[in-house]
Amino acid sequence: MNAMPLTLLQTCVMAIFQAIAVVIFIFVVVPLTTFAERKVLGYCQDRLGATRIAGHRIGLTGWLNRNMWRMGKLPFVSIVRGLPMFIGDIIKLLVKEDIIPDKADRIMFIIAPALSMIASVVVFAAISFYPGALFTFPKAFPIVGGLPFTGFITDMNVGLLFVLGIASVGVYGIVLGAWASNSKFPLLGGLRSGAQIVSYEVPLTLSLLAPVVLTGTLNFNDMTRKLATEMPPVAMPLLVVGFLLYLTCGFAETNRMPFDMPEAENELVAGFHTEYSGMKFGFFYLAEYINMIVVSALATAFFLGGPFLLPFGLHKYILHLPLIGGPNILWFIAKIIFLLFTFIWVRGTIPRYRYDQIMHVAWKYLIPFTLIVVMLAAFVRYAA
Amino acid sequence: MFKNEEMEINMGPQHPSTHGVLRLKLKLDGEIVTSCRPCIGYLHRGVEKICENKTFFQGQVWTDRMDYCSAVANNLGWAEAIEKLFGITVPRRARYIRTLLNEFNRLASHLIWLATHGLDIGAMTVFLYTFREREAILDIFEAFCGSRLTTTAFRIGGLREDLPPGFEKLVRNFLATFPDCMNEYETLLTENRIWKKRTIGVGMLRAEDAIAMGVTGPVLRAAGVPYDIRKAFPYAAYEEMDFEVPTRTEADTYARYLVRLEEMRQSARIIQQCMDGLPEGPVMAKLPKVLRSEVNEVYHATEAPKGELGYYLVGEKGSLNPYRFHVRAPGFINLQALPMMVEGNLVADVIATIGTLDVVLGEIDR
Repeated sequence: MNAMPLTLLQTCVMAIFQAIAVVIFIFVVVPLTTFAERKVLGYCQDRLGATRIAGHRIGLTGWLNRNMWRMGKLPFVSIVRGLPMFIGDIIKLLVKEDIIPDKADRIMFIIAPALSMIASVVVFAAISFYPGALFTFPKAFPIVGGLPFTGFITDMNVGLLFVLGIASVGVYGIVLGAWASNSKFPLLGGLRSGAQIVSYEVPLTLSLLAPVVLTGTLNFNDMTRKLATEMPPVAMPLLVVGFLLYLTCGFAETNRMPFDMPEAENELVAGFHTEYSGMKFGFFYLAEYINMIVVSALATAFFLGGPFLLPFGLHKYILHLPLIGGPNILWFIAKIIFLLFTFIWVRGTIPRYRYDQIMHVAWKYLIPFTLIVVMLAAFVRYAA
Repeated sequence: MFKNEEMEINMGPQHPSTHGVLRLKLKLDGEIVTSCRPCIGYLHRGVEKICENKTFFQGQVWTDRMDYCSAVANNLGWAEAIEKLFGITVPRRARYIRTLLNEFNRLASHLIWLATHGLDIGAMTVFLYTFREREAILDIFEAFCGSRLTTTAFRIGGLREDLPPGFEKLVRNFLATFPDCMNEYETLLTENRIWKKRTIGVGMLRAEDAIAMGVTGPVLRAAGVPYDIRKAFPYAAYEEMDFEVPTRTEADTYARYLVRLEEMRQSARIIQQCMDGLPEGPVMAKLPKVLRSEVNEVYHATEAPKGELGYYLVGEKGSLNPYRFHVRAPGFINLQALPMMVEGNLVADVIATIGTLDVVLGEIDR
């Protein structure tokens, strides 16, 4: 993007700014997603969802409660009544007693949630929200003055490989946490999760291989741009199928309904995090939601056109139009939000698969289908 | 280095989906259940013994608290058993109202079953939908007798009071919307691929095994045996009602699901008939102030939502309370079949099977 080579210091400072921006994005979107989950599920299920923080009448939360309650009288705005709930959630996770079971493996027990969390967050280093500069720092700014603030942290030429590699570390957090708990239900949950995530990583990777084959690059920005604007019409049905396959695997990777085997609250109490409490549980919880964002971001970037408006490679027909022709970070974020909504919507609609059935879905259906898609993608690429 | 051994886990008494305080000792080979032993008694209150020390009039409040999801059905069995013991004839209007409330209770109980069964399998939304309709039913109970869960709805010899004003409107409103609500549940579940995968062929209990185990109710009917006490030994006003006993032959969890859904439709039909054909007249028989029993014994079976609910009462000469009281609780007997249904299946099927047996621990432990 920027032809002028940066000094090491400039690179570091820029990366730190961008990392901060991404972390802020994550920690705004994740609590909002948990709030949205309450509300969307609520409206799915003919109830209101969160409307206040229970019992708080005084202090800051009391003030929030009172005002939120008043807000409930306004049309439309009443939907976000209960918004302070997400602050309440965070406060609760932070101040809950943190219990480490006596017989647990202390070190592993502590490392595991961190591992899950780190794996989820580091992935964002390679995800590109916007292929160009969002704004330029003013000249007067120290060190990075005059440099563009890009919509991605690094522009790796193996971006996708990095994302997949790091994301697969997350399963260690779950398995180690389950093992370290030294308890039976977490053990079962951990084993299930290990088998499930390893199985689903195969079709997940294969379904992303089709875009790689179509574009011939692993660079995140190039892939997004080419997929959105340079695909032949024959590739579009492939992208639609690929999107559905990827999303299915994504549900399994993030342990969401209908594939929430590792947790499977009704069978395994709470699955791998049964023994976890306080912020350690919070880390697992956050990791799940961050993974949802990662999956949504990848699906958006490769199949839904990323920062370009139209999905599945249709954008090339409106590229010349003003306003909506160019890339815009708002489209990217809007599509992520839509996919997050889909996650919640599905949870409110369908029941849970059984463990062996999940494996059947992966090995009998998803892997053959993704292989076919990859093969067809290769044909398309060869023909084009 | 690796030993191949079975893992023994305790599912319950504190577990999200053992429906109360049921404890299952499971032996697992990987995810496959090799042995399942239900342990009960965590909710034992000695209802039978307590009732032996209460007068015939007082015992009914304890029957509320056995199967707390179907208190009215328990009340009905108790009241009718005692009426049988003393040879009391209940006025026709009272019998109709009893039938009506009993069917509402069946709906409420089946709604709870659908809710928890769905929730166990992960269908969260249906849980809240069914509770919406159950709320309306509880309102009807409240309008009739003032309480919602532990109703103590009837009196020996009839009813304490006639229907309150506005009751008919409540019932008609409910009946008008209920078929749509049923369709709503069915849209979510009946043809849902995941729901079918989780329930078809799961927790099989063939008719001969079911009969050998003494299993009754929808579980037996889903195995193809059309045994329903409302038809076989009619009580209350069931003789005069026109309804069908739904049966299936698949004997699996999905068949039980379909049977119970059809039962709910039939219950709505019975309620409609009760409301339309409600006779005029008194609701209470003439009774002495104090009931003193003769040497006598009686077993009275009713079709509770979960199966055959039998009350066995022995009278003692001149006594104000029963000499012996025993309850044949359907949940208790049905639970016996659980090991047979789950051994050799997966852990996840245990949950589905507990759900489909529709156990309520208050009734099992008594």
